[in-house]
Amino acid sequence: MTNGALVEAKELYKYFPIYAGLTSRHVADVRAVDGVSFAIEEGETLGLVGESGSGKTTVGRLLLRLLPATKGDVRFENQDVLAMDRGEIRRLRRSMQIIFQDPFASLNPRMTVGEIIGEPLRIHGLASGRDVDERVRELLKLVGLQPYHANRYPHEFSGGQRQRVGVARALAVSPKFIVCDEPVSALDVSIQAQVINLLEDLQARFRLTYLFIAHDLSVVRHISTRVAVMYVGKIVELADRDALYENPLHPYTQALLSAIPIPDPLLEKRRKRIVLTGDIPSPVNPPSGCRFHTRCPVAFARCSVEEPPLREYAPGHFAACHWVEEHGGQAPQLT
Amino acid sequence: MRLLEVSNLRTTFRTEDGIVTAVNGLSFGLDAGETLGIVGESGSGKSVTALSIMRLLARNATVTSERIAFEGENLPDKSEAEMRKIRGYKIAMIFQDPMTSLNPVLTIGEQIAEAVRLHLGAGKSEARDRAIEMLRKVRIPLPERRLGDYPHQFSGGMRQRVMIAIALSCNPALLIADEPTTALDVTIQAQVLELMNDLQRETGAAIVLITHDLGVVAEFCKNVLVMYGGNLVEYGTAEQIFSRPRMPYTQGLLSSLPRLDEREHRRLVPIKGQPPNLLRLPPGCAFAPRCAYRMPICDEPVPLYDFGEGHVARCWLYDERAREQRPESQQSLPTVAHT
Ligand SMILES: Nc1ncnc2c1ncn2[C@@H]1O[C@H](COP(=O)(O)OP(=O)(O)OP(=O)(O)O)[C@@H](O)[C@H]1O
Ligand SMILES: Nc1ncnc2c1ncn2[C@@H]1O[C@H](COP(=O)(O)OP(=O)(O)O)[C@@H](O)[C@H]1O
Ligand code: SF4
Ligand code: SF4
Ligand SMILES: [Mg+2]
Ligand SMILES: [Mg+2]
Repeated sequence: MTNGALVEAKELYKYFPIYAGLTSRHVADVRAVDGVSFAIEEGETLGLVGESGSGKTTVGRLLLRLLPATKGDVRFENQDVLAMDRGEIRRLRRSMQIIFQDPFASLNPRMTVGEIIGEPLRIHGLASGRDVDERVRELLKLVGLQPYHANRYPHEFSGGQRQRVGVARALAVSPKFIVCDEPVSALDVSIQAQVINLLEDLQARFRLTYLFIAHDLSVVRHISTRVAVMYVGKIVELADRDALYENPLHPYTQALLSAIPIPDPLLEKRRKRIVLTGDIPSPVNPPSGCRFHTRCPVAFARCSVEEPPLREYAPGHFAACHWVEEHGGQAPQLT
Repeated sequence: MRLLEVSNLRTTFRTEDGIVTAVNGLSFGLDAGETLGIVGESGSGKSVTALSIMRLLARNATVTSERIAFEGENLPDKSEAEMRKIRGYKIAMIFQDPMTSLNPVLTIGEQIAEAVRLHLGAGKSEARDRAIEMLRKVRIPLPERRLGDYPHQFSGGMRQRVMIAIALSCNPALLIADEPTTALDVTIQAQVLELMNDLQRETGAAIVLITHDLGVVAEFCKNVLVMYGGNLVEYGTAEQIFSRPRMPYTQGLLSSLPRLDEREHRRLVPIKGQPPNLLRLPPGCAFAPRCAYRMPICDEPVPLYDFGEGHVARCWLYDERAREQRPESQQSLPTVAHT
């Protein structure tokens, strides 16, 4: 992978054990993240897309060490994140922050907005006394809220406003890197745009680096520099934004893109959709070989026995597919 | 005669904070076999509209209307027993979360058979055959074997297909689908929409599709009703709404949306502000506090303007009386008659 990446994950795994019976025997694992590697350059936005349960949130939490990894390697500015002790982790959190999907569940209802935003400042000893209030007012203005909002409680805010509070809290420690885990999924479209623009402005202003997790591929195209697609715990394709959207190689990426309806009825009449059959497999028992073979329209014998590696087919364009490999880096024609 | 004709529907809720006006004088209709999309943001009154028509609202609700005519008969005049016969038989409904509408302690087969027996008076084995046929139609593999399974044994997408099977088992004339795919992943959403499309072609049922996803509407619906603050603010064919939106809110929705086919990075234009407070809906345009073109006249009740070929929008900008007040940028807009 590239040198000089701000964040790097190598062969990252997270298995959640499943216990059963009276003796709580370990019977199986949820293979939530199953060997994932990528790097994020300073100042860029890596979009991470995939359907629910594909492992996106888990990847984000592993990077911040909000969850211990089963195995693998995470680097932040070339430091070994998985080897850090508690003190080092605390310092790391000043550089790496997270914004959660659910603006309703992620804020403590008993704290005022000022206390919520001020908390990380106090924890990290970045400000005390009056300075905290001053900084909180600054942060509120930065995210488009009013200084007097500091005395209010989360329930007095709308979804979009609460998400702004979440953004202000993440920004309080002046981080370099923010994991945005579905930050606009719970918001109405008219409010979504406000938050997306805010994230873009803040990125430009503070040279922030984002991992932007979402299942909405339109939002991801809009905001990302590069995009990684996950399917059942694995990255199946990773490329520059336009390469991924204009020239997807992996059959799953193609199906996913074709499934998104575009708000344009004339265009929709002409578009052909690849409708996949079957359900998304369980990460407890992922299919053998290529995990997509149970739904892939072009699967062939090799696919159910051999796992396809993520290979580079054009500069910066990676895909994990035997069909693509056997056809010299061409994408199958599925519609 | 239209299949459904709703006029001047008003639904309010008594709450601790006061009276919430969820639907505020809504009128609309649809024809047999038509697909109508109802879009609008959270709280705009979409679900309450559906539940008001079906008479399925909580006890704190008050529903009034001039008329809610279904196949020419006024639903508010029906007894509760008569309504029970209409629900699920003539008008079927599917909800966002199939788990809340499927009975967890009955098998899927029992639930379909129950609907069929109740409404079509079918015998036991006939009902079972119909259940198998319906499961096959919604592409549940090995339907004979799945009849005995309980809802939790199905995935989210399959449960939604089972809901569709139940909803369509009695050949309803109207299917109201409230966010039927919102809880589903996109590849599963594509399956469910394709299925609804096929079944509609086959059965000729009219569909009211409630959704906040403008893409789904563009793909699926012939006509579109845009709701804001409990009322219709724009109505037309999907093409009219998406290529010539007239009401600033509809325009705002479209320009605030990132698109999958966006090649150049375009800065999104959000709608500023927040949705209206339903405890205090203004007498004038409910969108006024967020509207860039707001004029003094906008504080008065807004008529519905007719743009021809069925396209209507509720906005003062198109009124002759507002000509003087219109902002510079909007001077060239046509003025049209109101309905
Ligand atoms: N039983 C109730 N008591 C009080 N208020 C209610 C009740 N049911 C609905 N409301 C209110 O009525 C308004 C309209 O609700 P409705 O469910 O129709 O919105 P919607 O357009 O379907 O939104 P969404 O997109 O979130 O489903 C909301 O403000 C809601 O909180
Ligand atoms: N704490 C946990 N214990 C057990 N399983 C979990 C836990 N967290 C996540 N999972 C499982 O891991 C898989 C991936 O989850 P997640 O990363 O949340 O997916 P996504 O964010 O892509 O929807 C899912 O099957 C999920 O149920
Ligand atoms: S490896 Fe085989 S099954 Fe997997 S995506 Fe490629 S062709 Fe399909
Ligand atoms: S009526 Fe007035 S406030 Fe309402 S949308 Fe039209 S111009 Fe804007
Ligand atoms: Mg998640
Ligand atoms: Mg609703």
